[in-house]
Amino acid sequence: MTPVHDLPPVIAAQDLTKTYTFHQQRAGLGGALKSLVKRKYETRLAVDRVTFSIGRGEVVGLLGPNGAGKTTTLKMLSGLLYTTSGDLQVLGHTPSDRKHDYLRRIALVMGQKTMLWWDVPAMESLLLHKDMYGLSTAEFDRNVAELAELLEVDHLLNVQVRKTSLGERMKLELMAALVHGPEILFLDEPTIGLDVVAKARVRSFLADVNQLRGTTILITSHDMDDIEALCSRVMIIDHGRLQFDGGLDDLVRTAQPRKLVRATYASPVETDRLTGLKGVSAVEVSGPTVKLEADRERAGSVMEQLTRLGPLVDLDVADADIEDIMRDLFLRRSTLGEGS
Amino acid sequence: MNTLVRNLRVVRRMTAADIAQQSVYRGAWIIFMLANICMPIISLLIWRTALASGAQLPVDERYITTYFVLLGVVTMATSSWMAGFLAQDIRMGKLSSWMIRPASLLTGFVANNLSEKFLKLFALVPMIGIVWWIFRDSMNIPAGPGRWALFAISILLGAMLVFIIDILIASLAFWMDDVSALVQARVIIASVLSGAVVPLALMPEWSRGFVDHQPFRYTVSFPVEIVAGELTGRELLAGLGFQLGYVVVFAAIARLVWSAGIRAYSAVGA
Repeated sequence: MTPVHDLPPVIAAQDLTKTYTFHQQRAGLGGALKSLVKRKYETRLAVDRVTFSIGRGEVVGLLGPNGAGKTTTLKMLSGLLYTTSGDLQVLGHTPSDRKHDYLRRIALVMGQKTMLWWDVPAMESLLLHKDMYGLSTAEFDRNVAELAELLEVDHLLNVQVRKTSLGERMKLELMAALVHGPEILFLDEPTIGLDVVAKARVRSFLADVNQLRGTTILITSHDMDDIEALCSRVMIIDHGRLQFDGGLDDLVRTAQPRKLVRATYASPVETDRLTGLKGVSAVEVSGPTVKLEADRERAGSVMEQLTRLGPLVDLDVADADIEDIMRDLFLRRSTLGEGS
Repeated sequence: MNTLVRNLRVVRRMTAADIAQQSVYRGAWIIFMLANICMPIISLLIWRTALASGAQLPVDERYITTYFVLLGVVTMATSSWMAGFLAQDIRMGKLSSWMIRPASLLTGFVANNLSEKFLKLFALVPMIGIVWWIFRDSMNIPAGPGRWALFAISILLGAMLVFIIDILIASLAFWMDDVSALVQARVIIASVLSGAVVPLALMPEWSRGFVDHQPFRYTVSFPVEIVAGELTGRELLAGLGFQLGYVVVFAAIARLVWSAGIRAYSAVGA
C-alpha cells in the first residue's frame, strides 16, 4: 500500500493480524453443565492482514462499526496485545516488547477505563507519572501548568477523582496521559458519554496538542464530529479488514459522489420543469423548496439550471453528512477497495 | 535515571497513595483487624483450657501461649490479599492501564502489599501488645537478639513466599475464566498447612515428614517456631535454607507463568 502522507512514518504495520480463541457456552443450566464436560472452542479473526503507515504529527481517525477490529488494532499498537502475525513497528519498537523507551514515548487513553486513582486527588496520579516517566520537577511543573491551563482544570487537581464529573474526569485523564509529553497519543472513544460542551473542549484541546507539540494522534470514535474536527485522514476497518485509508474528503467523494442541493424559490416550482434538469437525481419537491442530488462534476451546471427555474430565495450546496455516509457504509458493508 | 531507583520511587509513591486510598475506609479496617486477632486468641484459650483439663500434648503451655500470641503478628506480616484483586484485574482487563506505563507491573503489587502491611501493623500492634502483656509470664521469650533477628529474616522470606504464590495463582486468570475457587482453596489449604489454625507440632506423627517440608510451613509456622520452639542451630539453618529455596523456585515458576500469561492477555473491554 502506498502511504497517504509524505512524513516519515512513526507507525508501520504490515499484514497485521490478530485472532482470539474463546469457548462457546449455551445459555441455561444445561449449557453450563455441558460446558463443564466438553467445550467448543472457536477462533475469531479480529484483525485481518491490515497494512498502513502513519507519519509524525498526523491525526488519524480509526473508524468502523462495533466489533470491527478498531480497538484490537489500537491495543496491538500500544503494546497491550501480541500480534498473531504480521510486522508492526511503532517509533522503531515492537510494541508488545513493552520496552521502557517505547512506553515513555506513547500514551493510551481509553474512554471507558481510568488511569487515575479513584479515592485520591488527580495530583497524586500526576506525581506518580512524574516518578514513572522520570520527569524533573521543573519539567513536571511546566507541563502541569500548561495542560491545566489548556484544559481549564486547575481547580480540580486537588479534588478526589471520584467527586469529579465525567467530563472533568476525562480532562484529567488526558492530562495524566500527556504530562510526560508523549510523541504518540492513542485515543479510544475519548468523548464517550460527554456533553456537547465537554466534547468541544476535549476536541479543541487535542487539536492544540497536535499543533503545539506535534503529537501524532490515532483516535477511534463513533462520534463523527470528533473525526471531522480533528482528522485529516481516516482509516475504516470492517470485519477486521482495512476498507479505506485516505483523506476525509476522499471518503466523502468515494462513498457519496453526489452533492446535496437545496433550492428555495419565491413560489412553488412546477414539477414538470424539474424533469428537464440534467445531472441530477433523487429530486424531492416540498412547496417552494426543491431538494436534489447533483453529480459532483456537474454541480456548476446544475446550479445554473436551477437559477433559470424562477426567482431563488436560498440555495444551499453541501456534501452528504459524514454520519450518514458512515451509516450507509456500515449498513452496506461494501468494499471500497482495500486501502484505496 | 537508574531503573531500580525509578521503580523504588514508584513503589514509594504508590504505597503512599494506596495507604491514602485505603484510609478512606477506616471503619472497615478496624472490623477487619478485630476479626484477624480473634482467631488466634480463641485458639489460644481453647488449647490452654485443653491443657488445663489434662490433655496430653507434645508441647507445653508456654509453647502454645507463645505460638498463638506471635501467630497474629506473623500471619499479618506474611499474608497477602492480592491474588483475588490481581486475578480480577486480569479478567476484567484492568491490567491494561498499568501495562501501558513504563514501570514494572510488580511495583503496583508490591506497593499494594506494603500498604496493606503498614495499615495492619498500625491496627494490630496495639492489640497484640495487650495480649502479650496479659500472657507475658507464660511465654517463651528468647533472651538474645539472635533469635529475634532470624525471626525477622524468616518473616521477610515468608512474606515473599506468600506474595509469589499469590502472583502464581492470580496468573492463571490469564487462561481461566475464574480463579476465585483456586484462591479460596489456597486459603483453606494454607490455613491448615501453615499452622495458622493448629500448631504443626500437634499434627500426627505419621504426617511429620510431609508437614515439616511442605512450603506452607515456611509462611507462618517456621518463623513462629524460631521464637516459640526449641529448634537447634542445625534445624534453624536447614529451615532457612528450605525457605529461601522455596522463594527462589516459586519465583522462577511465577515468572515463567506470568510471561506466558502476558502473551495470552486479551485486554478485554474498550
